[in-house]
Amino acid sequence: MTLIIKIAWRNMFRHRGKSLVIGTILFLGAFLLTLGNSVITGMEAGLDKSVVEGFTGDVILVSKSQQDDNVILGMMGKAVENISRFDTLRPSLEATGLFRNLLPVGKNFAMAINEQGGNAGYAFLFGVDFKEWRAMFPNSIQVISGTFPDSTGLLMATGGLEQLYTSMGIWFWPKGAPIDTSVLSKDAKESYPQLNVQNDIVFMGFNEANTSSDIRLPLQGVSRFKALNKIWGHFLFVDINSYRRCMGLFTDQDKAAPVNAQDQALLNQNNTNLDALFGDPSLLNSAPSGAPKKVETVKQQPLATSKEAGIYNMVLARFAPGINRTKGLDSLNHFLEKGNLPLRALTWQKASGPIGSMTVIIKVALNVFVFFLFFVAIIIIINTLSMAAMERTSEIGMMRAVGAQKGFISRMFLVETAFLSSVFGALGVLSGLGTVLFVQSLKLTTDNDILQLFYGGDTFHPIFGFQDFLFTAGQLLLVTLIASVYPVKVAQSITPLDAISRD
Amino acid sequence: MANIVEIAGLTKDYPLDKTIVHALRGIDLNIPAGTLMSIMGPSGSGKTTLLNIIGCVDKPTAGSVKVAGIDISSLNDRKITDLRLHQIGFIFQTFNLIPVLNALENVEFPLQIMHKFTAGQVRSKAKKLLEAVGLADYMHHRPAELSGGQRQRVAIARALVTEPSLVLADEPTANLDSVTGASILDLMAEMNKSLGTTFIFSTHDSHVLKYAKSIVNIHDGLIVEG
Repeated sequence: MTLIIKIAWRNMFRHRGKSLVIGTILFLGAFLLTLGNSVITGMEAGLDKSVVEGFTGDVILVSKSQQDDNVILGMMGKAVENISRFDTLRPSLEATGLFRNLLPVGKNFAMAINEQGGNAGYAFLFGVDFKEWRAMFPNSIQVISGTFPDSTGLLMATGGLEQLYTSMGIWFWPKGAPIDTSVLSKDAKESYPQLNVQNDIVFMGFNEANTSSDIRLPLQGVSRFKALNKIWGHFLFVDINSYRRCMGLFTDQDKAAPVNAQDQALLNQNNTNLDALFGDPSLLNSAPSGAPKKVETVKQQPLATSKEAGIYNMVLARFAPGINRTKGLDSLNHFLEKGNLPLRALTWQKASGPIGSMTVIIKVALNVFVFFLFFVAIIIIINTLSMAAMERTSEIGMMRAVGAQKGFISRMFLVETAFLSSVFGALGVLSGLGTVLFVQSLKLTTDNDILQLFYGGDTFHPIFGFQDFLFTAGQLLLVTLIASVYPVKVAQSITPLDAISRD
Repeated sequence: MANIVEIAGLTKDYPLDKTIVHALRGIDLNIPAGTLMSIMGPSGSGKTTLLNIIGCVDKPTAGSVKVAGIDISSLNDRKITDLRLHQIGFIFQTFNLIPVLNALENVEFPLQIMHKFTAGQVRSKAKKLLEAVGLADYMHHRPAELSGGQRQRVAIARALVTEPSLVLADEPTANLDSVTGASILDLMAEMNKSLGTTFIFSTHDSHVLKYAKSIVNIHDGLIVEG
């Protein structure tokens, strides 16, 4: 092997031109692979942090009857199916030992009614228990104005404020809090200080049974998500009870109102003469004079005594430390199936629809680019090496004549290509790594939604890990092997006779 | 004296476009071990073809060829390559040295692919032979830094380093001036005498005849009387 390495190493310098052609291609390939893999890894890690730790948790549990997986960012179509009696499901789920947190939430579409007669606004309402939500996602948001709601109320991200201002022309802001002009959208800034400000919003929930209610909620706090603020800004956080009232999500237990004795007697009547029921002249008492009184408070439907006995739409879950996400998901779905529980678990990528798809699309695009790069590289390397083999006919033929087996020739060619691949590939990887470190030091940030997906958060932070190194090295090795097959065949086919001139 | 090469009824045909060239048309020849034989003949007579078949780098169309007692027609590529490595040395008209190896490494090459000797033994054998061919001062020169005569001396050392039974040289002086060519033939004769190795060389130069112990004349693919 020492002899082969010696010949290969020296041939690399002897055939400088060819070495440079092949080397440059391999260098570029390794450089772009390093960058591409680093961007993908950074994006995945960033999204993982931004999405999993910021909004969705490791997995999302939805009703078994929920058909569409895109439950979080699904803009159109049916509402997310209801999950009832989570209070009876929680013990079974917790008994699996898989979870650190389980947070049932409601999520549905609502219209923000413009009481000034202008256009309405639209948003997703996210019904949560604020305390539990904060416990599960402690570092996800920063309250920039007002307060974080304690038990009831509305919390809106700046992204949501911009969206509602665009459609309604109203800038919502917590009562009594000075307006932070730095968070005003471009249009809102133009109107400031004559900005149309309102402190509460009337929401009308959408549901399939048309049983939703209008509900007025004071805006208690304005927040900013640490990453993907515009995307998560689509979601306005309300307390779960207000959410249920708004969406008309009442259980039978919720609807069971107490009936007094007089009403019960009426209900128990078997008298089929309905006219007699209206024979009481007191029913026709004249109304008091003057303007009707404004109804100050709407009599609200009573809610279930236990909060978790009510209706939710999904359950956000964080796995316990040490639980692998893929294995945890498999094991959870197996448990749900086996226990015949009315739930199924989704990855955050599936549940987040466009976000999850975006990462896959970017990943596929980068890999397709690298594939084409290597495809071209392989063709050029094959061509160059085959020409080199033919130009070295007398040398190879002589080696065969003096006793070198075909295997020796193959190894010699493979080692020569491996040298080029490792020397120029290593240079490419090192240059790529240098570029990654340089880009990291720049701390590039963006507010653009699409770029935030590409960055995996608000900061571009490509990462070149050991796995990426192995992946890059593996790809280079594969290219080397594929590109060597044909030239090795050409070299093997050279016979001693080719090295000897014939009469 | 035993025969190192035994040839009987050897023919070799080559296709050339739509015709067949009969390069050898029935050769019977026994070559005793230890001889220094010259195969003489004009260009196109078949002497290189005969040498190639004896050297196991070409296969006969018909007939039998035995080298060192082994019938080469029954051997596969691996075994024939092994036979060349252990029994046959080659000296080419155009020297054919490995350009990236120096003189010493070129001579070491066949020994290294034999995997039979230690690194020290390989170096010692190669040095000894380079000294024997008068290149003690050029061991670390690459082929491009050597003259034609020096390159051919390296080729001779390489052909002899494995201590083969047979060394084949196809017109070894063709690319050398007459003085250098004579010195190469002197060297081959000396090696034949001192090592007892059989040398067979082809030539069409009648001036080299004085070096040969025996001469085979070949004409139109047949051995003819001198």
